[in-house]
Amino acid sequence: MITVVKPGLETSVQDWPGRIGFWEQGFPPSGPFDSWSFRLANLLVGNQPGDAGLECQFMGPTLRFERDAVIAVTGADMAPTLDGGVLEMWRSHAVKAGQVLALGPARKGARAYIAVAGGIDTPPVLGSRSTFHMAGIGGLDGHAIKAGQTIPVGKGKGTPGRRVKPDARPALGDSRTWQIEAVAGPNDDWVDEAAHERFVSVDWKLQARSNRTGYRLDGPEWTFTERATNKRPEHGEHPSNVLDHGYPVGTVNLCGQTPIILVVDAPSTGGFINPYTVPSGAFWKLAQAKPNDIFRFTRISVAEAHELRRSIDRHCTLDSLE
Amino acid sequence: MIFAEPVIRPGGDRFVLVQFGDDAAIELNFLALGLKAALTADRTTGVVDTNPSYNSLIVEYDPDLISHDDLLVELRKLCNALGQVDTLVLESRLAYLPTMYLDPWTKEAIESYCEKVKPREFDPDFVVRLNGLKDRRQLVRVHSGTEHWVISVCSLPGLPLLRPLDPRSLLTSPKYDPPRLWTPPNAICTGGMSTSVHTLRVPGGYNLIGRTPVPMWEATQRMPIFKDSVVLLRAADRVKFVPVDLDEYLDVEARVKEGTYQFNVTEYQRFSVGAYRAWAAKQDPLARF
Repeated sequence: MITVVKPGLETSVQDWPGRIGFWEQGFPPSGPFDSWSFRLANLLVGNQPGDAGLECQFMGPTLRFERDAVIAVTGADMAPTLDGGVLEMWRSHAVKAGQVLALGPARKGARAYIAVAGGIDTPPVLGSRSTFHMAGIGGLDGHAIKAGQTIPVGKGKGTPGRRVKPDARPALGDSRTWQIEAVAGPNDDWVDEAAHERFVSVDWKLQARSNRTGYRLDGPEWTFTERATNKRPEHGEHPSNVLDHGYPVGTVNLCGQTPIILVVDAPSTGGFINPYTVPSGAFWKLAQAKPNDIFRFTRISVAEAHELRRSIDRHCTLDSLE
Repeated sequence: MIFAEPVIRPGGDRFVLVQFGDDAAIELNFLALGLKAALTADRTTGVVDTNPSYNSLIVEYDPDLISHDDLLVELRKLCNALGQVDTLVLESRLAYLPTMYLDPWTKEAIESYCEKVKPREFDPDFVVRLNGLKDRRQLVRVHSGTEHWVISVCSLPGLPLLRPLDPRSLLTSPKYDPPRLWTPPNAICTGGMSTSVHTLRVPGGYNLIGRTPVPMWEATQRMPIFKDSVVLLRAADRVKFVPVDLDEYLDVEARVKEGTYQFNVTEYQRFSVGAYRAWAAKQDPLARF
């Protein structure tokens, strides 16, 4: 059992891969935004890679452990401390009942993950413990954790002193520029060659109004093909309007002139075009970007997107620990 | 118009979008639902989830279980096997939803918009005027006089996207610009050529015409109707809005709260696309009732 002393900015229970198979009922997958760091945190404490843990966004929580536990912190560097002493990240630690774990503001990256041996044991909803706050389901009462709440922990035995090999960790450097992979489609025929050229050649700036639903980008104006400008009236007036259709998770949704990357808590359908889609293997970079960071897109094929995701999955195994 | 061959385009590494045509002909949704049913019956390995819309079906797959190329082959095979749209017969339940048209809660949301964002005509009157109806009573008669087809359950948990099956009940209206800041949950609203039942208090753009006391979903699965699924409706179901007055609305609302409300959903019918299209073709859209 863990008591929330301070909740942090928005800390929530998530599991991986999240709430899968309910897109047709209007539920997004949710789950950890950076599932690479998340899975490694679980492996460190002896859990299954998908067991429920905590996702801390921008500013981490302060938590008091009411029982002895084995924990690990991965992802963004929020300068974690245990009873005031530095707690090494990417490593499993034994904590005693009464000890306090405190995370601060993110110094590198944006999202940190806390795993506890045994996993967080909140009730699953639709097969997942992931929090989807908009509908108030999953996690602790359906929302981010609050001060004074108690977080239940399952039974588990972890081994302290395990570390993630440095080359198996996502690289979170000081650079505020990210190379993000993107696959053309499903509506790549609605924007013209100049727009495709601009998409992969200019700097896109991440707006502050971005969260687990969508990542808004600032950049140049989009230009369109005849497909978008000369279409049946039921598609709507603006070139970016289309008859409602399903949205892939990760899609670059063109809302008027503003691209919004729809991420883990996004709506399943809507009436705007999606010229590109960010594949799941690049999500960890989105998750660790901060407002005003720069995105540079690289166009890859579907086959390359599959290989990208597999290359990350290969890091999320016990072979990455020492 | 139905494409000779469905167009299949990738959406990243886990999704493809199958498009059956480019317009809003309801036949295209029937085909999307036919493919959805075929994928379910076929238990295609690696297909994780599907979500229909007006003229397309989005398919989520697990690339560790099926490659993109194999998925395309499988989808083309199933699309070819669908045959002519008129031969489709779809599983379709009919749900009756008690509805208070012109209710005080959506009125409050409209008034709040007029006060805080910009003045606009009262939504039901706006829909009446744009569609050449006589008055609000005819709006209720026309909107409640048809079965509404569930195109998709999407965007928000349990939210149905609906189209009237009776051509005489088709209403069209533009969406709010800018959108409303909030919408009461369970509000019934109409926009474009569709109707929707809002399931959460969120912004919205459709014109508000009424409200139902019946929930579209229940995460706790407290009431028996939600035992097998947390949402009430699924794509290819039909909805009939049944006008009720304030007293009955409040009575149903109280029974929903207690958990004793008996949902009215019938399951004995199937939907024949051919029979429907033959009937719809004979209706005069201007002959309102």
